[in-house]
Amino acid sequence: MKFLVLVFENIARNPVRTILTSLGTMMLVLVVTLVFTVLTTLDKVTTEKSANIKAIVTEKWQNPSLMPYSYAAGLSAGAADPSDSSAVHPQDSMTWGFFVGSTESNPAKRGYENLFFSFIMEAEKARSMLDNIDALTDEQARPLIDAIKRMKEVRNGVIIGEGRLAKLKKKVGDRITAYGRNYRDINLELEIVGSFPKETAQYTDSAIINRDFFETELDTYKAKNNNKPHPLADKTLSLVWLRVPDRVSFNKLTEQILTAPSFTNPAVKCETSSTGISSFLDAYRDIIWGVRWLLAPACMLVLSLVISNAISISVRERRIEFAVLKVLGFLPWQILTLVLSEALLIGTLSGLLSAGLAYGIINGVWGGLPFPIAFFPKFAVPINCLWWGAAMGAVTAFAGSFIPAITARGVRVSDVFAKVA
Amino acid sequence: MSSSDPCVEVHDVHKSFRRGSEVLDVLNGLNLNVQQGEYVALMGPSGSGKTTLLNLIAGLDRPTTGSIRVHGEEISNMSEGQLAGWRTRSLGFIFQFYHLLPVLSAFRNVELPLLLLPLSASQRRQQVTTALDIVGLSDRMWHRPGQLSGGQQQRVGIARAIVTDPSLIVADEPTGDLDAKSAHEILNLLVELKKTLNKTIVMVTHDPKAAERADRIVHLEKGRLATQTPEFA
Repeated sequence: MKFLVLVFENIARNPVRTILTSLGTMMLVLVVTLVFTVLTTLDKVTTEKSANIKAIVTEKWQNPSLMPYSYAAGLSAGAADPSDSSAVHPQDSMTWGFFVGSTESNPAKRGYENLFFSFIMEAEKARSMLDNIDALTDEQARPLIDAIKRMKEVRNGVIIGEGRLAKLKKKVGDRITAYGRNYRDINLELEIVGSFPKETAQYTDSAIINRDFFETELDTYKAKNNNKPHPLADKTLSLVWLRVPDRVSFNKLTEQILTAPSFTNPAVKCETSSTGISSFLDAYRDIIWGVRWLLAPACMLVLSLVISNAISISVRERRIEFAVLKVLGFLPWQILTLVLSEALLIGTLSGLLSAGLAYGIINGVWGGLPFPIAFFPKFAVPINCLWWGAAMGAVTAFAGSFIPAITARGVRVSDVFAKVA
Repeated sequence: MSSSDPCVEVHDVHKSFRRGSEVLDVLNGLNLNVQQGEYVALMGPSGSGKTTLLNLIAGLDRPTTGSIRVHGEEISNMSEGQLAGWRTRSLGFIFQFYHLLPVLSAFRNVELPLLLLPLSASQRRQQVTTALDIVGLSDRMWHRPGQLSGGQQQRVGIARAIVTDPSLIVADEPTGDLDAKSAHEILNLLVELKKTLNKTIVMVTHDPKAAERADRIVHLEKGRLATQTPEFA
């Protein structure tokens, strides 16, 4: 404790340098924290699970996947043969389509601000099948549960994320018209019935519309166009998600689907959600590799150099002081520890502060890190960043200050005072 | 310990430094005894070896050959760790340029050597207050070195040297950076330490007036003891 006070007093000797070193550390820890936030989230979603697996069925040869809606019932049942008693039946299922449009009628004025991106699905499945929402408690998911109830009453209801609501300058209860972009000439009159839970920032820019309502709109289009269906009318099913308990069931389910004669034209494939996301992320593979193996280590190296530079200057300035301490009876290892402790204290506290601010501001104020990649409009900074940040600051401070500390330890009293005299 | 006991015994000490291929002999078979409670001034021209001798007596360097004993302990054979512990307990060092830590108050500067001893905070406070009282700076204990005059800083340096109650104090030109009045006060203080606390003092100085205050003046020349004033048997 008595030495810790000495460490604090030494750090306070040059407040400008300490603050600049601290700010440099905080900036670099912030960059690495943001990088780790994205990488750990992607790692998490692409890590294969051994239980409670979500299987994703998509069109085999085309991206984006556009399957006929007639596939929905059979796939939701896992293509299980009724006569096969050993067939695997999914525990839960969800069909997906995507309606992309705009709330702006004038195509020339359409842009990100008025974008409308919606899942076409059975609204009640949002609670049981959507990633992260399925893990919420009923209390946390209450806004969505209430919204789903309203969706059953209001066929043209829509659930919209808070972020998108803010951009559209709309609130629950308002009505909007969504002008189709992928479904050309399909314009939806919608009533906003609710929003997503705050805990699931990834859906902040998304929306959900009722599958039944959308199919009815396609029928209306057909009726209005001399019984000519919409060009995409038979391609409204993009994905089917199926929940199975374990990998054995998944393998059996995959076999059932791939061997079923009903799903050969177009052919389908079945993969886990992590594999599916991994495949999707293949397009970003080089960027992710660069961020993981070049940017993050480079930041940590620069961070070490920043600390090393500051501590080296400090050690050079304090050669006489270290010699005096040796005269007073301080041992070389005590001087080494003193220098290392100063660096560790600056590094650890700066790292912790940086990560804490990143966690509080990015999650609390921005609702997550806005880094639109794959299906992730925002990334929530994990609570683990608090120890990452502190540990990163500590490790880089240790690495950066080790050589200066060795130099301080090796100060020869007779050399120093010979020069002074 | 009586004043006739030898405190410092330097016996046939040689010290050489190597500069490139050249070997520089700084001390050549030097012998010197300092009694407990004696105040000795080391004088001599630059390069005569007086600071080297002081560093050897303080255990900051080792003789090439020969022996140095302090209170019967052979310090030239001690390990670095043993020497460090010995310096903390048994030696006070006063520097020409004070060398106080600028970020610490006078109190904390004086407390520094005590941090190495197994003392409680209240024991440390008691000893620091006593040391600062002795040098007459108890009213300045929370001032930082930058807020003190040169003379006051040297008093803090002296308090730091005596705070562990060592029997031996070495001083390297303690008045070299001071004006005449401050130098006079510091020399008085050293005499007081010798008289009232029976400290043994070995002081390097270029100033004949400072040296006059000592019990004995030892002149070094070319690494050897040249003369002693008064003649010492």
